[in-house]
Amino acid sequence: MNALLILIPVSLLLIVAAAAVFFWAVRNNQFDDLDTPEILPLLDDVDETPEVSEQIKEEAQHDD
Amino acid sequence: MSTAVLEHGAWSRPGLHAQVVRKRRDGRCETVLHVDSVHTPHQVLRLESHLQCAAGLDRFDLDRAAQRLRVTWDPGQTSLPDLLAVCANAGCTARPLSTVALDITRRQESHAALKRLVVAGLFAMQAMMFASVLYFGHFERVDSVTRELFRWLGLLAAAPVVLWAALPFYRQTLSDLRHRRLGTEAVVALAVGLIFLASILSTVRGYGAVYFESISMLVFVLLLGRYLELRARHRSGALGEAAADAEPIASQRRKADGSLEWVAVAELEKGDAVHVAEGGVIPADGRVANATVLVDEALLSGESTPRKRNRGQPLVAGSVVVTGPLEMIVEQGAATSALAALGALACQAGRQAGLPTQDRAAARFASRVLVLTVLSALFWLWFDPSRAFDAAVAVLVVACPCAFALAAPVVASRAISILGQRGVWVTRASALAVLARADHAAFDKTGTLTEPHLDRDNIKVLRGGDSTHLLHLAASLARESRHPLSRLITEAAGQASLPVASDVEIVDGGGVRGLIDGRKLRLGRAGFVSDQPIPDEYLHEALLLADEEGLLAVFPLHEQPRDHVVDSLAALANDGMQLQILSGDAAPRVDKIARRLKVRDWHARMSPQQKLELIQSRRTEGAVVLAVGDGSNDAPFLAAADVSAAMVSGTELAQAHADLLLTDGIRSLPLAQHIARSAQRILQQNRRGSLIYNFAAVPFAAAGLVPPWLAVIGMSLSSLCVVLNALRIRAPKPPAEATGSPMQVQPA
Repeated sequence: MNALLILIPVSLLLIVAAAAVFFWAVRNNQFDDLDTPEILPLLDDVDETPEVSEQIKEEAQHDD
Repeated sequence: MSTAVLEHGAWSRPGLHAQVVRKRRDGRCETVLHVDSVHTPHQVLRLESHLQCAAGLDRFDLDRAAQRLRVTWDPGQTSLPDLLAVCANAGCTARPLSTVALDITRRQESHAALKRLVVAGLFAMQAMMFASVLYFGHFERVDSVTRELFRWLGLLAAAPVVLWAALPFYRQTLSDLRHRRLGTEAVVALAVGLIFLASILSTVRGYGAVYFESISMLVFVLLLGRYLELRARHRSGALGEAAADAEPIASQRRKADGSLEWVAVAELEKGDAVHVAEGGVIPADGRVANATVLVDEALLSGESTPRKRNRGQPLVAGSVVVTGPLEMIVEQGAATSALAALGALACQAGRQAGLPTQDRAAARFASRVLVLTVLSALFWLWFDPSRAFDAAVAVLVVACPCAFALAAPVVASRAISILGQRGVWVTRASALAVLARADHAAFDKTGTLTEPHLDRDNIKVLRGGDSTHLLHLAASLARESRHPLSRLITEAAGQASLPVASDVEIVDGGGVRGLIDGRKLRLGRAGFVSDQPIPDEYLHEALLLADEEGLLAVFPLHEQPRDHVVDSLAALANDGMQLQILSGDAAPRVDKIARRLKVRDWHARMSPQQKLELIQSRRTEGAVVLAVGDGSNDAPFLAAADVSAAMVSGTELAQAHADLLLTDGIRSLPLAQHIARSAQRILQQNRRGSLIYNFAAVPFAAAGLVPPWLAVIGMSLSSLCVVLNALRIRAPKPPAEATGSPMQVQPA
């Protein structure tokens, strides 16, 4: 019975925490685009920022 | 529709800036941009990675289906022109939309629904867990303190679900009652509310059955059904405020000293002199001030043949300048332009047409549930008063419309997702029910039923070689352009090796010009191609090839029914639909097409207003009308019909007022109707099945034989059956060629 008296409030708190985290995720649009992220690991050059792609271009020119 | 590209710096002008940017209370600026290249995941990720590196950008939200990018930035660190440049570096042309577009509710609707769903799910699970202790109490002894504790815990867990997550049901019920209607939401609200109150009473009293987990699960399952339907509808894309996208925001005004300045279209007044470049969109109604120009008035007539306008003749806002540049005098401000009038006409027609029909089945169900509950309470009051309350509540639980209320959303989301895979995007779920009943179909002609076709055998050669040689010259220019007419030329030339063209320039609305073997050649419509006056027979329906000295060849274009149109119309006619063609074009051309398509009822030279009135008169005669079109001039008649479909290649104004978007032309219409009918059939089966379950179990509940755990099992099983039955909706034949996922479809 003592175990119950602790576990029940803990479980309720966990649920509330889970709901809070979920609300944050929804507000940050995590659930809006469910199609694109699955392609992410398959693409090669998506990590390129504009600076990196400039670098790659320069290196390619030097190689020529 | 083509728009002159505005250099990014022009957007910092105060007048234009205020049109598109909103300053928030915390000092940040926000705007919505229309972005064009976000169809493939690669493009999306490239755009996002560039945006993440942009300094001063607080956040950005990309709505891929709607092609809108909402950005919030710090005006001290960056500006709108800088952000447009970032998008351009990512290979994406971004165009600011007016501040009206900032208030999109679609995303908010989806977020709110998801939050309620998850709260309902989490707390329903908790309520089930607590209730399982009470279930065991049926089979083993549980001491009264524990039982009491878990009843209160059940109440605590069910409270957020019933009091917050189920709010949409209560709100909808109240609004229904105000309009004197009764729908499934009323039934659900009634059941959930009454059972919750009864369970609270039992908990407080200390004895009697409690049903917290039943109602929590009921609310969760129903919210899930509604969320799936919402999601399926939103995936279909289509914009609610697309009319704002269609109108140009900026235009070039000629000042008194002769120089040009960029101003917001809303600032234009009567008497202003406006300059529009070749390929640009005319911003307001007015008159020509310089020499003869050719304008494309597809907006009003639906026909893309350019019309000549001389000095002093009227111009319509929204039409495209084919040969220019154009100097014009504004006669009416943007708010009263013809385009705005079309939009207003369509909205008005839509409002009159779109009142939802009363859900009579649900109303009957609600009243029956109430009657049964009262009857069983009365029976027990007479027989054994102490059990009356419990029996009444038990009847209410068992007669609870979980499966019944789930039937419609589940069927709708299944039908919408199947149609989505086959290239028909449904934007209003209620449209499917109406499509199943439709018995009249009215089609626009150009772009919907027909497309231009190059008549290879009748190429008229004026000088400079034989037809094959000239065709190759034309094709070497045409292959640089993505315009559908250019593609016709390129396809006609086939795999032959073509001469190389250099210095190629594409002029929107006009054609292509370039240099081949030192000769300057132009390919396109009359007027663009040559400054000489051209005999009128060449003005319509032809592409011309000319060099600096004059015309070389004429490539005649004939109108031909699009692929599969004949078969699709025959299939619709076989299903019992009456077909009609309404067109703004001349009678002989409409007659020719109607003959080929075997449609007897056709009307020519119809204005948007006339098409609208014809649809309305058909509806008052009792027909259920399906309208299909693609141009802005079709928007009013699409809005006025019972159910409407627009081509995805059509204008945004037409798409905004349509219930269905067809990515593959008319070909998918018979399929759409078939699926809509099958969905209606399965919906009826679901409803009938759930009613049978509900009412068959009532006698047992009235006799007090149904404990709470059995009620929950009954509820879950009946809902599961409804869902599995909905999966039986399937398309009749596998597709002949893959139409691809919605991600890869590129609207033309």
